Amino acid sequence: MLPNPATVESVAEAMNMAEIKGRSLWADARQRFLHNKAAVVSLIILALVGAFALFGGLLAQYENDFVDFTLIGSNAYKGVPSLETSHYFGTDNSGRDLFARTVQGTGISLMVGIVGALVAVVVGTLYGATAGYFGGRVDGVMMRIVDVLMSIPFMFVLILMLVIFGRSIFMLFLGIGLISWLDMARIARGQTLTIKNKEFVEVAHATGVHPVKIILRHIVPNLLGIVIVYATLLVPNMIIFESFISFLGLGVQEPATSLGALINEGSSTMQYGYYWQIAFPLFFFVVTIFAFFFVGDGLRDALDPKDR
Amino acid sequence: MFSFVARRLAVAIPTLLILIVVSFVLMYAAPGGPFNSERPLPPAVLANIEAKYGLDQPFWKQIVNYVASVVTQFDFGPSFQYKDRSVNDVIAQGFPVTLTYGFWSFVVAVTIGVSLGVAAAIKHNTWLDYLAVGISIGAQVLPNFVMAPILLLIFTLWLGWLPGGGWNGGQWPYLIMPVIALSTSYMASIARITRSSMLEVLNANFIRTARAKGLPMRRVIWKHAMKPAMLPVLSYLGPAFVGMITGSVIIDVFFSTGGIGQFFVNSAFNRDYSVIMGITILVGALTIFFNLVVDILYAWIDPKIRY
Amino acid sequence: MTLKNRLLATSAAILIAATGTVHANGHATHPLTGETLASDQTFTYRVGDESPSYDPGLVEDVDGADVVRDLFEGLMNQDAAGNLIPGVATGYTVSDDKLVYTFTLRDNAKWSNGDPVTAGDFVYAWRRAASPELASPYSWYIELMSIENASAVIAGDMDPSELGVTAIDDTTLEVRLSQPLPYFAQMVTHGTTFPVHQATVEAHGSDWMKPGNIVSNGAYVLTEFVPQERLVRERNPMYWNNDATILEKVVKLVVADENVALTRYLAGELDMTDVPAGQFPRLSTQYPNQAVSVPQACSYYYMFNLRDNAPAELQNPDVRKALSLAIDRDIIVDAVLAGGQKPAYTFTHWATAGFETPDIPMASMTQDARNAMAQELLAQAGYGSDNPLSIDLLYNTSEAHKSVALAVSQMWKQTLGVETTLSNQEWQTFLEARGTGDYAVARGGWCADYNEASTFLDLMQSESGYNDSKYLNPEVDALLAEAKTSNNPQPLYDRVEEFIAQDTPIIPIYHYAAVDMFAEDLKGWPTENFEQNWYSRNLYKVAE
Repeated sequence: MLPNPATVESVAEAMNMAEIKGRSLWADARQRFLHNKAAVVSLIILALVGAFALFGGLLAQYENDFVDFTLIGSNAYKGVPSLETSHYFGTDNSGRDLFARTVQGTGISLMVGIVGALVAVVVGTLYGATAGYFGGRVDGVMMRIVDVLMSIPFMFVLILMLVIFGRSIFMLFLGIGLISWLDMARIARGQTLTIKNKEFVEVAHATGVHPVKIILRHIVPNLLGIVIVYATLLVPNMIIFESFISFLGLGVQEPATSLGALINEGSSTMQYGYYWQIAFPLFFFVVTIFAFFFVGDGLRDALDPKDR
Repeated sequence: MFSFVARRLAVAIPTLLILIVVSFVLMYAAPGGPFNSERPLPPAVLANIEAKYGLDQPFWKQIVNYVASVVTQFDFGPSFQYKDRSVNDVIAQGFPVTLTYGFWSFVVAVTIGVSLGVAAAIKHNTWLDYLAVGISIGAQVLPNFVMAPILLLIFTLWLGWLPGGGWNGGQWPYLIMPVIALSTSYMASIARITRSSMLEVLNANFIRTARAKGLPMRRVIWKHAMKPAMLPVLSYLGPAFVGMITGSVIIDVFFSTGGIGQFFVNSAFNRDYSVIMGITILVGALTIFFNLVVDILYAWIDPKIRY
Repeated sequence: MTLKNRLLATSAAILIAATGTVHANGHATHPLTGETLASDQTFTYRVGDESPSYDPGLVEDVDGADVVRDLFEGLMNQDAAGNLIPGVATGYTVSDDKLVYTFTLRDNAKWSNGDPVTAGDFVYAWRRAASPELASPYSWYIELMSIENASAVIAGDMDPSELGVTAIDDTTLEVRLSQPLPYFAQMVTHGTTFPVHQATVEAHGSDWMKPGNIVSNGAYVLTEFVPQERLVRERNPMYWNNDATILEKVVKLVVADENVALTRYLAGELDMTDVPAGQFPRLSTQYPNQAVSVPQACSYYYMFNLRDNAPAELQNPDVRKALSLAIDRDIIVDAVLAGGQKPAYTFTHWATAGFETPDIPMASMTQDARNAMAQELLAQAGYGSDNPLSIDLLYNTSEAHKSVALAVSQMWKQTLGVETTLSNQEWQTFLEARGTGDYAVARGGWCADYNEASTFLDLMQSESGYNDSKYLNPEVDALLAEAKTSNNPQPLYDRVEEFIAQDTPIIPIYHYAAVDMFAEDLKGWPTENFEQNWYSRNLYKVAE
């Protein structure tokens, strides 16, 4: 489900080694990333998908909630993709333009993925850095809490939360973010433990800089590489996660939609031959996730100078 | 080692208590009670039902009673939805089903995933490698709620080879599609992790030394490389196991297997407090247990780890 | 069937055909129609979810009631057309004041363990169903039957033994009512009134329904039960009319997803399943002898919240009427659902017994005329493009409800420029919101308790617990009260429907149809039964 902590940790080790080598780390990393063809192509694809989500609406000939009553329900088979009708991707089972809906669904899925990953990364990094920096009893208590939370079946709790408090995008972000910050916290703590013994931190400490400032100014920036890798690998998992929530019927409210919701609708009608209802959303879903995986792998390799 | 296990268990117990309290409070706060229906019940009828299930008592008393009966008697109380069954009945019936197909999915995912990953690593940058990577990413991105109906269409409707659902005591024809649908994405993850960690290990000095000594590749892989390469895989197994229990929701919906997932989702929607709590606690306990097992295995395999 | 078996069966069939005798097992003919029966008399059908209980005292849903009707038998049964026919009782007499019903029980009715079924079993079952101890969610049904002291027993103010039901002797059951109820006899076909075996219930407590423990008096006995997966019932040789039973085995499978169920039906694993919304036209062309649509006793409607705290704009009847007019029911029934449902302009289902659908002006207009009128009404009420109306529409999570809500919201938008915010909630949350008035417009569905118009129209009564709109109209209340005792209630019902059309507390949208796929070899389904009450012992499979 989540990016494997062990592989991310190896990046962290590499980062430490790179730290010693000097400041060419980021330049080196960019060089290495650009040499990874799959990653570069994926990055371009991601940019295209992003552009589709942002500006695709300008090409759509219909609003995403406009229902064409001649293409609804039992007549859905007439809603085939066609340039003449301007339904480029056809219509969905409720007679709505699938192009407009895919544009919107891609946007929502990307947003859920990115915001969810952001929540997880921000919370996890700050929590882990704090625990690692203070060490001792504070660290012990904070990390025990993480242990406790890790053994809670969060998917179940999230389902309960969505059922109980009603579904909303906010709830979804909150729930998804809350589930995935734990690994980040562990990794960030491990890194902080090594960073905090470095001279620049000790100097700051000795000159009486406030701990909050030390964490934010000196420790967190040094965690950046690993955070970026983790976040990139987290995004596709968030998107997959959201699709599962949509499958349960707990996703975003109509007429808003997400790729997961569109795929779910499409998969229930595919046996009737409305192949386009699943093909287009699934295509964007798969391409986006593929691209994120490759970019994440590329970043990891780039930030990890060890030859693979 | 012993103190490590003891410490982890000491954390486990408060964790379970927190889990019980949190889920109880969540359910209590939920709008809509377990006995709402399209026709609102007359007050007298509702009062009878609430008295029967002890819902007329104050909140603190309900929670204390509940925790006490769970802890002392291992009794999760009666189901609110299924009027003539207890939560223990529901779990006793659904859980073995989930565990059976979960276990087989786990075996399939690990066996195929590891084989695929090792093969890809050994034949690094050959067509086999690319094929393995392609298969594993493809399997990972196809959501299992898409895979399940596709499997049904192919194997049940078109080919007529497999029954389209049901459990029938877990006979193998009924197991195949659930196991495929549940295991693919984990198989893919395991393959990816195995491949990259095996590549790393194969580049390590001790392996190069072994190769230089003239040991055959097969022997190097089995004797030296396998153990360290499996460490990251091992740490993935905990989350994978939990994921499979969660994934049973989809399996139960599509293949009508009657496992714990179906009961959980239905109970959440029906506000069947007692069943939800029972399942949540059970899955929580299992998660803790499984993570513990993985940690112990990890410590056993990797002598560097000290607890 | 293995190949070898099939060959044997075929040669047996040839033999029979040659000799002209029809005695081989599995090649019998139906006693009435003379059709050749299939050798495998197993009926497998699909339900969407597990039922809460199959205990006659506790059963509360339709799928559960179907099972209870097979396992147990009450005083009276329904025939294929829904008419009353004898069950355990051979008949009944009514006192002149219509307050005392005396049922005569047949003396050959037996429990599956061989014990005779007596009037005492009914007394025990009815007291049990009403008792606070069992706390049945369906105990209100006993109250609805107007049995003497029912309310006091349910409230716990009287001992269950005070309930107005007495066993005069083993074959005579006397029931005393607190008020005359014209449809009382119809009500004893419902599972809540079926007998239970006292010794078994007392011996096993809440486990008495489990296979192995259960003792029942219906045409079938429960032999296997795996919750959320399957329930199997098999012929009960002790049933008094066992000779007439043809189906040997009935299997109920839980298949949550209706599309999956259809796949499995087409693969031959099910003999019966529901048709997903919108798929009926295609399936009935492809499988003309299998796709069946018959009227079902339910109405689908949208309700307005008329409470004081509700949105003010919906308190104007003209606005409500405009919203009603703008819904093109024909599109909803012909395209969205497409399963033989009928557009509704009255609340009462068109096929309800003894009910003649009144002429509501809206019903005979064209949709263009309706739209024009709607636009005019809304403009008069002060809403237009400069001051658009916006409303919240609440429905419970389901594909079919979503499709209807989407279509309706678009009709309002395209015709009237009304902005609709859709929100769907889980069933329990939805019921809570609707019951407490936390909505503006909400979806509703109502199914008949019995086959008479008042089962629908009583919802419009001010005091009704099911009047979630809180529509208060003394004239309607008076009409409904008068109808209770009237010999010819039809004109009164017409007036109530006119009030509904005029005040528009609800928007009737369509009248349900049961849309199912039936295997071609399955015969005897009571398609004429408006309440869809079916008995497996009347079904049979013919040889193909």
